[in-house]
Amino acid sequence: MLEVSGLTRRFGDKVAVDDVSFPVPSGGLTGFVGGNGAGKTTTMRMIMGVLAAHAGKVSWEGHAVTREDRRRFGYMPEERGLYPKQPILDQLVYLARLRGMSAADARRDITSLLERFGLGERAKDPLEKLSLGNQQRVQIIAALVPAPVALILDEPFSGLDPEAIEAMADLLREHARDGVPVVFSSHQLDLVDRLCDRLVVMARGRVVTQGTGDELRAEAALRYRVVLDGDAGWVRDLPGLHVRDVSGPEAEIEVVSTGAEQKLLAEATSRGSVLDFHRVVPRLSEIYREVTA
Amino acid sequence: MSTPSSRTQPRTQPRSQPVWQIVARREIAVRATDKSTLIGTAVMLAVIVGVLGFTAWGESREKTYDVAYSSTTARAMAEGIAERAGDIDAKVSIDPVAVDDADAARHALEEEQADAYLHSTKDGWELLTLEEADSELRDVVSQAVEAIVLAANADSAGTTAAELTAGSKVTLDQIEGDSELSAIRWVVGYALAIVFYFASIMFGMTLANSVVEEKQSRIVEMIAAAVPLRQLLAGKIIGNAVIAVAQMLVYVAVGLVGLSLTDFSFALPALSGAIGWFVVFFLIGFVVLSTLWAVAGALASRTEDLQSSSTPITMLLMLMFFGALYLDGVGAQIGSYIPPLSAVLMPMRLVDGTAAWWEPVVAVVLLLAFGVALVRLAERLYSRALLQTGGQLSLKAAWRLEE
Repeated sequence: MLEVSGLTRRFGDKVAVDDVSFPVPSGGLTGFVGGNGAGKTTTMRMIMGVLAAHAGKVSWEGHAVTREDRRRFGYMPEERGLYPKQPILDQLVYLARLRGMSAADARRDITSLLERFGLGERAKDPLEKLSLGNQQRVQIIAALVPAPVALILDEPFSGLDPEAIEAMADLLREHARDGVPVVFSSHQLDLVDRLCDRLVVMARGRVVTQGTGDELRAEAALRYRVVLDGDAGWVRDLPGLHVRDVSGPEAEIEVVSTGAEQKLLAEATSRGSVLDFHRVVPRLSEIYREVTA
Repeated sequence: MSTPSSRTQPRTQPRSQPVWQIVARREIAVRATDKSTLIGTAVMLAVIVGVLGFTAWGESREKTYDVAYSSTTARAMAEGIAERAGDIDAKVSIDPVAVDDADAARHALEEEQADAYLHSTKDGWELLTLEEADSELRDVVSQAVEAIVLAANADSAGTTAAELTAGSKVTLDQIEGDSELSAIRWVVGYALAIVFYFASIMFGMTLANSVVEEKQSRIVEMIAAAVPLRQLLAGKIIGNAVIAVAQMLVYVAVGLVGLSLTDFSFALPALSGAIGWFVVFFLIGFVVLSTLWAVAGALASRTEDLQSSSTPITMLLMLMFFGALYLDGVGAQIGSYIPPLSAVLMPMRLVDGTAAWWEPVVAVVLLLAFGVALVRLAERLYSRALLQTGGQLSLKAAWRLEE
């Protein structure tokens, strides 16, 4: 398990990351979301040791993370690129060797990954001869060799075509299944929603909320949707409710004081028939919007 | 399992190679297969071979001059000159050519059918040429005419030329060295300074470019996450130095072989020790300057910034170069100890033969100490500036950056 505790970083007077703590459990995908300037990239750079932390620590398997540990972490920086003029196989082997792999092992693993991404034939081509989508694929491979013990990926899906997004998602799931802690940041909330077991939400340098999907949903206010046979405007007058939306016979409400939804239901049945009444489970993206609002 | 190699391999796997070696190997491999490097090397070799070949050819070339005459006395004189020419200058031969009169001779000169027109005047003889006569032709004609006329005058005075000129010969000798050798020393000294200057600029720019390339393409962040930047810097400098030294050795070897084929080959034994020292100073000076070039690369964000971020170091190189050209006497003596000027001046003094055996040793020690201090400074600037991608950094701003 990878764990971040109390990480803090200032740039001049500005606190970019303020006392950030969260775990990245093994065998799960942790989504890292937040607007631009929320401090995600700075946090990930500190995890990788590219940027020094002013306070706090990063631990790996219970001890303070070392350079040797980090050497086995797969990392995809937000601002990324490779050597434009060097053949892709050569530069991937070089990067793998920098991370402690033997040339023969690196060559074997990379060749099989290139084939998996449909780039087997392009191994000797310089990077700049590849399409942007394929360059992104090469970048993904760069983060995956040698077989990483943890994956720290900053916006890994940005710039990918739909096909590559699926391939990337599969890869992340596979690594998680193999017991690798995976944390990735993304602006694509639907993707995060679909993939992640845990969510860490940052805003203005702080973690505003975090937890598994269920935990976050449980924390969120109870929501109900009701459909009547007449106009639903009267629900606004009921106490203990927050009305999120009313349109014609439909209304969506949030429970402020416990039991208010039962009073609503009783009132509705006394006024006419109730066509539908059900609990609304918010999507992670909705929760995200609320906590960062 | 997504990737073939096992994740369970021990974390402390034996390291096959230190990081700097991996980096250096890549630098060398990339550079050695780079077309512009190969073409540049080929051009440089062609220039060296060309210059030396031209010198050797010029030395061995025989020249024949067509000398026109229009009278019988002039004919006799021209034939006399032709006879003696080989004794005066082995590479010059004279071909007498008959013309009708002075006008025909002028015409022949203008049409370049003859090289000179020899005719008598009331004071003696005149050699008319289209432009200024070649020194070889002038020497041969004037010496031959003088000898022939002297012999004729002596004969009519009832004596011989040898008796007339007896005891008049002046031979030259000098107490210190050999004038021709000292001229060669001078040329070789300056040639070495020029080689150092151009090699530093050329390889330095290449190094700075490869640093900024890593920064501009953003690959440096992935590298920084995997290895200490100090190792990256060391690997790049060493790889670059290996290429530079290999190229220099090829040039020097070709140059020395070429020189040995010319008339200047006699100077080689006297210069070999100094050239050996030159290689030592070159290597240290080159590495020291390389760290500065790497900093210049790290301060830039894009290749376009390099011109301005490398200004301080090009200024330093100019200073070293012109220092080498203009300093002499005590100035050169002092300068040959001051790093990094010493990297150029001491080898020049050694070639010149004005330095005692211990002087280069002291200069090397000083240069090394300076180098170590500078490398530490450069390392800090390099590793701090390298991850800053928002435009060009000043030295001061880079120094103040936090890691």
